[in-house]
Amino acid sequence: MDCYYFTEMPYAEFPESEVDKYPSMRLTFPNTYFDPKKAQDLFKRYLDEYQYAEEVGFDGLMINEHHNTPSCMDVEVNISGGILARITSRVKILMLGNMLPTSDNPVRLAEEIAMLDVISGGRIVSGFVRGIGIESWANNTNPVYNRERFEECHDLIIKAWTTPGPFRWEGKHYQYRAVNPWMLPIQKPHPPIWVPGTGSPETVEWAARNRYTYAAFLTPLDVAEKLFQTYRDYAATDGWEPGPEKFAFMICCHVNETDEKAQEAGKAFLWRMNYPLRGPREYWSPPGYTSRAGTAAVAARRPTPLNEMSYTELQENYHLVVGSPETVIKKLRHIKDRLGVGALLLEAQGGRLSHEDTMRSLELFGKEVIPALKD
Amino acid sequence: MAGEFTEEFVDVGGTKIHMMSGGSGEPLVLLHGAGGNAGWLRYVQALSERYTVYIPSHPGYGQSERPEWLETMADMTSFYTWFLEQRGLEGSRAIGFSMGGWLAAEIAVNCRHAFSKLMLVDAVGIKPQQGEIADIFIISPTEVTALAYHDPKQAPEYDQLYGQTPTPEQVAIAEGNREMTVRLCWKPYMYDLRLPQLLGRVNIPTRIVWGREDQIVPAECAQLYHQAIPGSDLVIIDNCGHVPQVEKPDEFVKTALEFMA
Repeated sequence: MDCYYFTEMPYAEFPESEVDKYPSMRLTFPNTYFDPKKAQDLFKRYLDEYQYAEEVGFDGLMINEHHNTPSCMDVEVNISGGILARITSRVKILMLGNMLPTSDNPVRLAEEIAMLDVISGGRIVSGFVRGIGIESWANNTNPVYNRERFEECHDLIIKAWTTPGPFRWEGKHYQYRAVNPWMLPIQKPHPPIWVPGTGSPETVEWAARNRYTYAAFLTPLDVAEKLFQTYRDYAATDGWEPGPEKFAFMICCHVNETDEKAQEAGKAFLWRMNYPLRGPREYWSPPGYTSRAGTAAVAARRPTPLNEMSYTELQENYHLVVGSPETVIKKLRHIKDRLGVGALLLEAQGGRLSHEDTMRSLELFGKEVIPALKD
Repeated sequence: MAGEFTEEFVDVGGTKIHMMSGGSGEPLVLLHGAGGNAGWLRYVQALSERYTVYIPSHPGYGQSERPEWLETMADMTSFYTWFLEQRGLEGSRAIGFSMGGWLAAEIAVNCRHAFSKLMLVDAVGIKPQQGEIADIFIISPTEVTALAYHDPKQAPEYDQLYGQTPTPEQVAIAEGNREMTVRLCWKPYMYDLRLPQLLGRVNIPTRIVWGREDQIVPAECAQLYHQAIPGSDLVIIDNCGHVPQVEKPDEFVKTALEFMA
C-alpha cells in the first residue's frame, strides 16, 4: 500500500476569535489578515516538510488547491507541483487536484500537467476535481454547469494527451481551432487520473466508468465502504474488477513517541476540523451545484458535521488518527483491511501543528509506520 | 384570495408550459420574477376584474419544462416571442416583475409588436451606476424574503405566502426556480450592458413602477429605465420594498389600472 503525505499549507497566523466575526473563514473572511512575509516563511517550512517526507520514505506527496481561504495557501497545484517536481526525485506527486470546471483553458491545463510530468520524469498523478461549492463563487463560474464543464474539460485534456495534433475542438463550453500542445506527458497514454469524492453518486459512477482511482475524503468508514462498493458494482456491470489501486482514502493523522504526546499535539488538528468547515449553506452548495441525488447522498453521509464533532468523536470515526506508532499502525491497518484501499492519503500536517511536531511525526512515519503497512 | 382562474399546460414548440388565466376583457400578460409564479394573489384578482390575465410559468420554473437549449435571458426572450405568437397574445398589455421586468423589456426591444403597453416593476436588467443589485444567490431564501419587503406587516398576504412551513414539493419547486435563475443570470449578474441603448427602440407606452425602499434592485435603476425608454413615465411607491404588488397591492393595482386603461 502507498502512503502519501499531505498538507493544505494552512495559514493559521491570526487569533481564532477573529473568525467568529464573519460568516465563514472561507470566501469572505477579509484578506487584511494576510501577511505575505509570514506566508513566505510558511511556504519555506511546508516545502521543507514535503522534502523531508520523501527522505523518510513516503511513496508520494499530495497537494491541493483552494481559493479565498487561510486554510489552504496553495492556490495553484501546478505551481506547487512544479516546485515539488524539482526538489524531489523519487516520490509520486499527487495533484488532487486541478479544478476543471473553473478553468477556461483546458489545453493550457493539459500543457501544464504534461510539463510537470516531463520535469518530474513521469511522477505525476493527475487529480481532477470539481472544486467545492465555494470555488464557484471565488472563480465566479456558474455552478449549474459545474459537472458539464468538468466532463468536457476532462475529455479535451485526455484527447490533447492521446490524439496527435493538430485537431479542432468545437464543444459546448470550449472551442479551439488548433489543439496541438508541443508539451506532452512522459507517462503513456497519460498520467494516472484520480478523482476525489465525499459522496456524490455521479462522481463515483464517472470514476468507475473511466477506470480512474476514486479517493474518499474524510468520510466515515461505512460511507467509504458503500462508495467503493458502488464503484465495484459499476465496474462489474462493465465487466472488469478493480484492484486496490483504484481506491484511496484520505484522513488526518499524527504520530508521536507516545499516545499521550500524540494526543496532546494532535489537538492542533482541531483548527482544521473546525474553522475551515464552517459557513453558510449557500457558500458550500450554491444553487445548482449539487444534483438532487447528490443532495440526498450528502444528507445521508455524515450524521454530524466534522466541525461539530469532539476530538474523541473525530478519532472514533477515523477522520483523525492520532497516537504512538503502535496505535497508528493498528488503526491504519484496520482502515486498509476494511476498505481494501491501495493508498492512504495522510494529512500529517494540519491546522496549527508545529514544524517540530510535523517533523517528528514524519520521522516516525518513515521509521515505523510506513514499513509496517508494507507488510 | 380565492379568485376565478383556470390552470392548464400549453405546448410551445414542444415545451409544456404551465399557465394560469382568468378574468375578462383584453389580454394582460404577467411575467413573474426569479422566485417563480406566486399564484393568483389579490393584485392579480383585482387586475382580472378588468382584463383577462395570463400568468405563464417561465420555462424551467414551477411546473413548466425547460427545453434543453434554453439557458440564457436571450433564449428566454426568443422563447416568449414564440409563446406570444402561438397563444395569440401578441399586442397584449404586459407587466414584468423584477427578473420578469428585464424579460419584458428584452421582448419589447426585440419584437415591437409583442406588447401594446408595458409596465416594469422593480426590474433588473440595467446595471446600477452607484449601488449593486443584491446577490440573492449567496444568501438563503429566508434572507432574500427579508430583503424583499420594506415592512412585511403592510403586506396583507404575507402570512399566506410565508407563514407556513413549505411542503417538500414546494421546497423542490423553489430550489428548481433558484437553480434556473442561476442558469440564466449567474454572470453578468442580472444585467445586460446593451440593454439601456437598445431600450431606445421601445415605441409603446411604458410605465416604470418601483418601491422606493427596494433593497434588491436600487431605485436608481428606475431612473435608468425611465431615461432609456422614450416617453416612459415613472411611479415611485413610498415606504415599499421590492414587491409592491404584494406589499402595497391596492396602491399597485390603482397605478396599474390607471396606466393600462
